[in-house]
Amino acid sequence: MFETFYPQLIGFCTGALLLTSALMVWRHSLLASIRLLALQGVALAALVAVIGIAEGESELVLVSLLILSVKGVGLPWVLAHQSKASIKQIQESPRLNPTAALLAVTLLTILSYVVVSRVFGLGDSETGHAAPIGLAMVLIGFLLLISRRRARSQLIGFLLLDNGIATIAFLTSGGVPILLEFAVSLDVLLVVLILHVFAGRMRTKFGGTAVDQLRELHD
Amino acid sequence: MTGIGAGLLLQLGLGALAVTSALLAAPSLRSRAGGILCTLIAVTGFVTGLDALLGATGGLLIPIALPMDPLLLAPDRLGGLFMLVVSGVGILVSLYSMSSTRGPDASRTAWVAMPVFLVGMQLVPAATDSVSFLLAWEIMTLGSTVLLLADHASRATVASAGIWYSAMSQLSFFFILAGFAVLAAASGGTSFTNLQAIEPGSWAANVAFVLFLLGFGGKAELVPLHVWVPRVLPEAPSHVSAAMSGAMVKIGVYGGLLVCVRLLPDGPAWWGIAIMLVGGASALYGILQASVSSDLKVLLAYSTTENMGLVFLGLGASMLLRGYDATAAADAALVAALLLAVSHAAFKSTLFLGAGAIIHATGERNLDRLGGLGARMPVTAAAFGIASLGAAAIPITSGFVAEWMLLQSLIHGGRQGGAVVSVAASVAMPLAVAVIALTAGLALLTFVKAYGIAFLARPRSAPAADAREVPPLMQLSLALGALSVLALGLLPGPIAALVANTVSSNPTAAVQSVGLGGVSLPGIGAVLDPIMLVVLSALVAIPVVVSIVVSARRHPHRTVDLPWGGGGSRARPRMQYTATSYAEPLVRVFDDVLKPSRDVQVTHVAESRYLVEKVRVEQHVSDVIETRLYRPVLNLFQRYGIVVRHVANGSIHRYLSYSFVALLIVLIVVSL
Repeated sequence: MFETFYPQLIGFCTGALLLTSALMVWRHSLLASIRLLALQGVALAALVAVIGIAEGESELVLVSLLILSVKGVGLPWVLAHQSKASIKQIQESPRLNPTAALLAVTLLTILSYVVVSRVFGLGDSETGHAAPIGLAMVLIGFLLLISRRRARSQLIGFLLLDNGIATIAFLTSGGVPILLEFAVSLDVLLVVLILHVFAGRMRTKFGGTAVDQLRELHD
Repeated sequence: MTGIGAGLLLQLGLGALAVTSALLAAPSLRSRAGGILCTLIAVTGFVTGLDALLGATGGLLIPIALPMDPLLLAPDRLGGLFMLVVSGVGILVSLYSMSSTRGPDASRTAWVAMPVFLVGMQLVPAATDSVSFLLAWEIMTLGSTVLLLADHASRATVASAGIWYSAMSQLSFFFILAGFAVLAAASGGTSFTNLQAIEPGSWAANVAFVLFLLGFGGKAELVPLHVWVPRVLPEAPSHVSAAMSGAMVKIGVYGGLLVCVRLLPDGPAWWGIAIMLVGGASALYGILQASVSSDLKVLLAYSTTENMGLVFLGLGASMLLRGYDATAAADAALVAALLLAVSHAAFKSTLFLGAGAIIHATGERNLDRLGGLGARMPVTAAAFGIASLGAAAIPITSGFVAEWMLLQSLIHGGRQGGAVVSVAASVAMPLAVAVIALTAGLALLTFVKAYGIAFLARPRSAPAADAREVPPLMQLSLALGALSVLALGLLPGPIAALVANTVSSNPTAAVQSVGLGGVSLPGIGAVLDPIMLVVLSALVAIPVVVSIVVSARRHPHRTVDLPWGGGGSRARPRMQYTATSYAEPLVRVFDDVLKPSRDVQVTHVAESRYLVEKVRVEQHVSDVIETRLYRPVLNLFQRYGIVVRHVANGSIHRYLSYSFVALLIVLIVVSL
């Protein structure tokens, strides 16, 4: 029963990952981006759970719970931890217009399919076929990093990049040992906390978090 | 775990403890605690180095996750010798700095950097693979850079020296890294055992040799990579200059030996000739600049370039001679080079510490404003005097033994059994002898000037007149330094035999200990026994001294006032020779090389232009290599830098875009 659904489940989860990534590039509101990030975390956790059940590894199910709690709930909560009213007002004015950005996303996705199939080969398994999605997420995350002006939107790009790396790891090698996964998740959480505090300090000190204005070095 | 491994581990532990104590200790205790811990580090290194020098094996294996040979710290005999030298200087410097540091020199940062510097220097000779070598090298460089910058807030010259030093040490590091990379690529491993497998005549070995010569030559202050020396050594706190010149520079020499003796022995003849050329040029240029300098620490800094030049001259000569199978002479030259490095560590660190004592007492390092310190600072004067004798290579000191041995090997090396070994050697050896002769003469002048102007005659300024002897710990360290200079000079035999063990396959054929600690070179047929010399001279001198004393007793001393002083009775300190006037003939003779700029301003009395009110002379000797070679290159870089500023304008988005585009290009290229 499960075997028949397995390829479709993998396809569904990775599709959700790609779709959320593309939507993150498209939407300009910070709150929307955070919600998309939470959704992506849930999709990633679901993907890991599906792989875990298919391969009969209970450890992976544990990992999926960890991912759900950190990437699906924890990180978005940290990012959105501010009055909803003020965060709703934050609108990003990106350096790329939406049409161009979506076009770039398309090109990056195609590129990652080409690269993975030419360099590594797609393999026979369903997970192997979906592997380019991970690379596409990394590249899209990078695109977000360079096209967003605000520090917090850039943080979202960074998290997308991290999700992409995790996706590649799970799709190609069935994930990393749980201890390592735990450590990496905590690391990311810590980085986000620090950057979040940092962005807050930037706002109080300079009145904004537009990174463009931080060109001059000061002693 | 072997003794050496335990020693190295103990050093690392003590280093960590010293760093912690520097961070946590109260300012009043910091110098004392730091000094004691640094002394312990150096003593541990001394014992470990001695152990390795005497032939003990073993070491410290550091496993790493990266896919390369594991990091192994296991000094061989040669490494042990250099650990010994470095830690010996470390002991002197640590004892000295315990009471010499004050103000910014005793800051938390400086005391954190000190143990890092000391441990880094110890680990370089202990490394047996290129990765741990480079790692230790960088630790050493980092520590010394921070120490140099201790006083940067109050003096602008320190900051400029720091920039020069960082740039030059990173340049050195780059060359060394590239050298190791070339060898590692050709041999397929990073450990020295793997690198040794490379054929010395191959192109990889030749390229690596040039890179290493540039890299280690920069650290060993060889011309034309010495430009940091006259800026950095004078500006660093004196105990740091002593550690840099006495110990860190030796690590550059160790690097040279590592390449030429251990990794790529029996290289082509042009390697030896190239090293001799560089060494000879450094020796001459260094001592010329030193002889005309009137800043005490600049003088000592340039004299370091001279000594390292001689060391490399010896190394080059030994390589050349070995290529023509003149093994005995080659070994003697190599041992001479090593002895010179050892003795330089002893006398130059003592000299720098002595200069530090002078600065401590007077705040002056300009010789033209010193004088008369001999009576006011007797211990410093005695130690500085003995070390000066060593630097000028006068008998019964360490410098003499080394230069004597070098000259013996050069003079006798060109011929073997009456036949000329090769045309190249028979041309190079006499030239090298001439270089050493000129160097020795100029060194004598230089140190007569340094000692005579600073310690003899009458004070030339108020601070010099008010000088007081330095605290006891500094005196102890100076006395230890001076004693080591004498010990190395009086007992050269056992020391030379030990040193010969480190580099020669058949040490007893090259160097033997004879008589009362004397040294003999069986392959050449020369013998030197300093203690016998002293005894003989004493036998001659004692009757003379006794007769003088007896006659002085018989005729009591009479005080006589000059009936007519001829101006001599009213001589003022300003009428004495100064360092500048003493070196004036030299400046004239070597005018073409030194290119001094001189400015004479004569002010006439208002009433008559035949009467002169005052004459002001200003003379400035700049470093020709810096102005002719480095300035144009630096200007070029500056112009390029202005252009590049548009590319790197400080926008984080732009930098991120660069890496994104680079990533995309890589992906596209690999998928093509």
